[in-house]
Amino acid sequence: MTITDSRPTTPKPEPATERPSAAAAGLARTGALARLLAPVRAHLVGCAVLSALATAAGFVPYVAVAEIATLALAGGYSPSAIWGWVALGAAGAGLRLVLVFASSRLGHYADARTLHDLRVRMVRHLGSLPLGWFRANGSASVKKRMTNDLEEMHQLIAHALGELVGATTAVALGLFYLASVNPVMTLVTAGSLALLGISYRIAMRSMTLHMNRLLAAESRISAASVEYADGIGVVKAFGTGGRVLERFGEAVREQAAALAAWADETRYSTAASRLLASEMALLGILGAAGLALVHAGQLSMTELLPFLVVGIGLPTSINPAIHGTQTLRKGRVCAQNIEALLGMEPLPEPSRPLSPEGSRLELDRVTFSYDGHTDAVRDVSAVCEPGTITALVGPSGAGKSTMASLIPRFYDVTGGAIRLGGVDVRDMAASTLLSSMSLVFQDVMLLRDTVTENLRIGNPGATDDEVRAAARAAQIHDVIERLPDGYNTVLGDGGGLSGGERQRLTIARAILSRAPIVVLDEATASLDPDSETAVHSALSRLIAGKTVIVIAHRLHTIAGADQILVLEDGRLVERGTHHDLIEAGGRYARMWAAQQNGDPA
Amino acid sequence: MIRHLHRLVPQPGLLLRLGALTAVQAVLQGLLLGSLIPILRALLRPEPDFGAAAPWLVAAAAGLVVYGVLTVIATPVGFAASSDLAGQLRRRLIDHSASLPLGWFTPEHKARLARATTADAANIGNLAVSIGGPAITATLTPLTIIGVTVAVDWRVALLFAVIMPVALLALRRAGRIASIADVELEQAAADIAGRAIELGQAQPVLRAAGQSSTGTARMREALDEHRTVYRRGLRRSMAPDLTYTGVIMAGFVAILVVSALLLLDGTLGVAEVVALLVLAVRFLEPLGNLVELIGALHAMDNAVGRVRALLATPPLPEADRPVTELPGTSVELSGVTFTYPGGSTPALAGVSFTCAPGSTTAIVGPSGSGKTTVTRLIARFFDPQEGSIRIGGVDVRELDQRTLLDSIAVVFQDVYLFDDTIEENLRLAKPDATDAELAEAARAARLDEVVERLPEGWHTRVGEGGSRLSGGERQRVSIARAFLKQARIVLIDEAASALDPENERAVSQAIARLAADRGRTVLVIAHRPATLDAADHVLTLHNGHVAEAGTPAGLRATGGLFARLYDQYDHARSWRLDRESATEVG
Repeated sequence: MTITDSRPTTPKPEPATERPSAAAAGLARTGALARLLAPVRAHLVGCAVLSALATAAGFVPYVAVAEIATLALAGGYSPSAIWGWVALGAAGAGLRLVLVFASSRLGHYADARTLHDLRVRMVRHLGSLPLGWFRANGSASVKKRMTNDLEEMHQLIAHALGELVGATTAVALGLFYLASVNPVMTLVTAGSLALLGISYRIAMRSMTLHMNRLLAAESRISAASVEYADGIGVVKAFGTGGRVLERFGEAVREQAAALAAWADETRYSTAASRLLASEMALLGILGAAGLALVHAGQLSMTELLPFLVVGIGLPTSINPAIHGTQTLRKGRVCAQNIEALLGMEPLPEPSRPLSPEGSRLELDRVTFSYDGHTDAVRDVSAVCEPGTITALVGPSGAGKSTMASLIPRFYDVTGGAIRLGGVDVRDMAASTLLSSMSLVFQDVMLLRDTVTENLRIGNPGATDDEVRAAARAAQIHDVIERLPDGYNTVLGDGGGLSGGERQRLTIARAILSRAPIVVLDEATASLDPDSETAVHSALSRLIAGKTVIVIAHRLHTIAGADQILVLEDGRLVERGTHHDLIEAGGRYARMWAAQQNGDPA
Repeated sequence: MIRHLHRLVPQPGLLLRLGALTAVQAVLQGLLLGSLIPILRALLRPEPDFGAAAPWLVAAAAGLVVYGVLTVIATPVGFAASSDLAGQLRRRLIDHSASLPLGWFTPEHKARLARATTADAANIGNLAVSIGGPAITATLTPLTIIGVTVAVDWRVALLFAVIMPVALLALRRAGRIASIADVELEQAAADIAGRAIELGQAQPVLRAAGQSSTGTARMREALDEHRTVYRRGLRRSMAPDLTYTGVIMAGFVAILVVSALLLLDGTLGVAEVVALLVLAVRFLEPLGNLVELIGALHAMDNAVGRVRALLATPPLPEADRPVTELPGTSVELSGVTFTYPGGSTPALAGVSFTCAPGSTTAIVGPSGSGKTTVTRLIARFFDPQEGSIRIGGVDVRELDQRTLLDSIAVVFQDVYLFDDTIEENLRLAKPDATDAELAEAARAARLDEVVERLPEGWHTRVGEGGSRLSGGERQRVSIARAFLKQARIVLIDEAASALDPENERAVSQAIARLAADRGRTVLVIAHRPATLDAADHVLTLHNGHVAEAGTPAGLRATGGLFARLYDQYDHARSWRLDRESATEVG
């Protein structure tokens, strides 16, 4: 029994939005794999054939040993016959080397190509999914699909395939050859292999059950150690790790107990399968049976020899097949994941895209539901005239962010329509729609590229001077100049810039893009006051002359807006200017009063 | 490798038992195969002589039974050794991490620790067993066979003895080259992972630029690069892999040739030659199978390396005779210079100041000026390279860790809570606190309102990391802990970003109450005018130096850095977005 694949899985459950369920995955299993590998099928078949041939060639030296022994025992051999077998054995060995090389080459070629092509396909497909999918699933899930899942496919294509074919060929050829020597002994050999298979199955019968318990224990260990590390400050400050360490210790003990329970239950079947998989068991079985037959005069010693040379080695050649099957199983699941991603419905693109005229934004009885039951936004109508500021306010969960995310079509409305410049956003090309607006959110969207490229992506034709002007307007020019390579510094993870500086870079990009609409969602909420001031002046530059949609918690920041839309439970409950709403003495006025009270400023 | 593993595992009992069992089995296997020689010698005659073979057959049968019994015994030992090894590593890692300075726990290090305690420990446990066994067998069985062969024909034994080290050397070389290729490939894969994250995060930007379906040029480069590196690594590791297979194959051919020569010149009996041939096959096969272990060995090597690196991190030094009684609550820094590990410029340079017992000191400064570093050094997350930090006149390095941490409460900017009830999270500070004490601390920190609002009150679970509470609410839990613990020194990193108004008021009030107690020395990294106004003393930091020190009102009057920051904070809180203030890009 192998216990090597008990790697802990990520404790985080898969997001529920990916449609094909685990149950469905059980059905069309090989289908997904076969379809994904279709483009390299010829290579894979070639790789398999070569791998089988390599095994066959590698078999020849064994046969040569057996035949030389047979000749020697028969007596009266000619030296040339002996040398002939030596030459044949050597040729087989040489050929095996060449074939292994070729097969491996082909397998890896197919592998490199598959990985590359699948990644390109995934990138392309991701580009057509609703933007909301990225919000719901996070970029970590994109990463998992593009790296971990493909890594399993790589194991499958580059290694498991050859292992499986090689092992199968080795066993088949071995039995075939032995059968030509003596059928009865071959039956004994096949019988012990069958026994090995049976005991392996028995040992593995309860694997799913135990594996689940083991994986659960491992993910608890993982969770406890993450919790421990994250809360280390508290653990140390208060002396005892107490419950946390207890939880960790418990999880470790549970893991050991789970493994012990498994080992205990399958104690004899596992030992039996390990024993039967050893050369010694075959030596014993074949030796005993063979000598009994020799003793009874039904087998000659000469006939027994091939079984000692070839037969004994058969179980060890099965081992790679067991490993290969495990990889195949994992590969199928991953293929399923990848296909599920590739099969996800893209955001519908209009067949004849229209272009907006002007930047008047119209919300026409907009309704949206994430789950199809409860509406996150309901029946909201409003007009944002070009060059005006519209603020969305309301308690958290009121639907402000959802409303804002419908404008760039992160999701499509489930009722009503959003029109930009008189055109329904669903009738525009995604690039037209998105290039007409700048999105400035809390989570900063930077590319791992140079500063210049990060700014210029919003306006590829911009000159260097324009890029610098935008950076100056966003109060970030000086910071960029201080970077090691100035504007040519490549921004990595973090990139040495603070949150506020990164935010200012995205604002500079927005300024450079000159998109007529600006959507701000709590853009400064997570910044410290130093950066906040700088970001504020950057924002003031950005919004000049633009149609602005802004979401704010702190009401004083939007008190100067042209219109304020107050949302509650997805509905529009009040609208007007700050002055109107205060006068009206409704929901907004109450919120304002509460904040004024709480705000020491 | 074995040496490294040995150092990692203080009690290798089970592993040693498994190793011993396997070693006995391996030698037994060699001897059993060796027994073929006398058996075949007796039986490979025109008329098989079972009488002559009988003692050998009986011995072999007994050997096989012993082998079988050993397999049954060794199987559960293998399981137990694997989980015991993983468990030991895990406990050692956690124990060791408890002795590390708090400053060590950066996100990157935390991720490493988590990986080591979970995946790495599990893999080492599994691999030590699943590689260790075959490795022992593949070494001892051929060695035994060589020994047996010497008794029959020294020339063949010599041939075996030559093949084995050559094969092992070729194997090592193949492993080494494969790991170089692996490192390169891992880098290329990491690049792709980074690009994939970017693809997810910046999707709207990419779409606006019409690059959504292709990804950025750099994404395409990363994909192409991965393919190139992959193919190059393949080409490179192919040769040594094939060399190894080649060595085994060449050994096979050499044995065939030598056997043919021995047979033809008649120096060795037919039965002996045949028996040696059978033995030769069994000698070569386990060696050939070793190639399958390369990958696993490499994985094990990496995992062991990562665990070792973690365990090699030096712990926070402890004083020989630590002071266990804190004589006072003053906090004094003198000439403190500190550079973060791996940093080039000092975060603090020659910082000196004193906080009188019972006073409240506000620390202000632009981001990166060293504010947080000051509090980290006081709590001994790190030790400074120069200068000293004294609490109640005692150098913190002389203080007992326990005493120090018992007297200090740190309220972080981003408070981490354990996934437990809110009560348990609070009780951490004082496990034997009475309900009245809990209620009192909660009231003082204005946590009582939060508890009241929660569905299950004190018994509400706060979620992973405290995710069911807002940032401000988590800070209130943390402040309540400081009250409950009756810490004599409190270090607060006031939330810099905007809290919602209700929380902001509550947190400010809670901080004010902490500061009001004259038995408590408070240091607060402040961003809010209200907090600044309430401080007895202000310290302005700039680029790791103390720029100004004085009372809040006094410093505002001087119009220096503090005055500027104060205005900035004030401005940030009154800023509004409107068309009048919007400025055209000129």
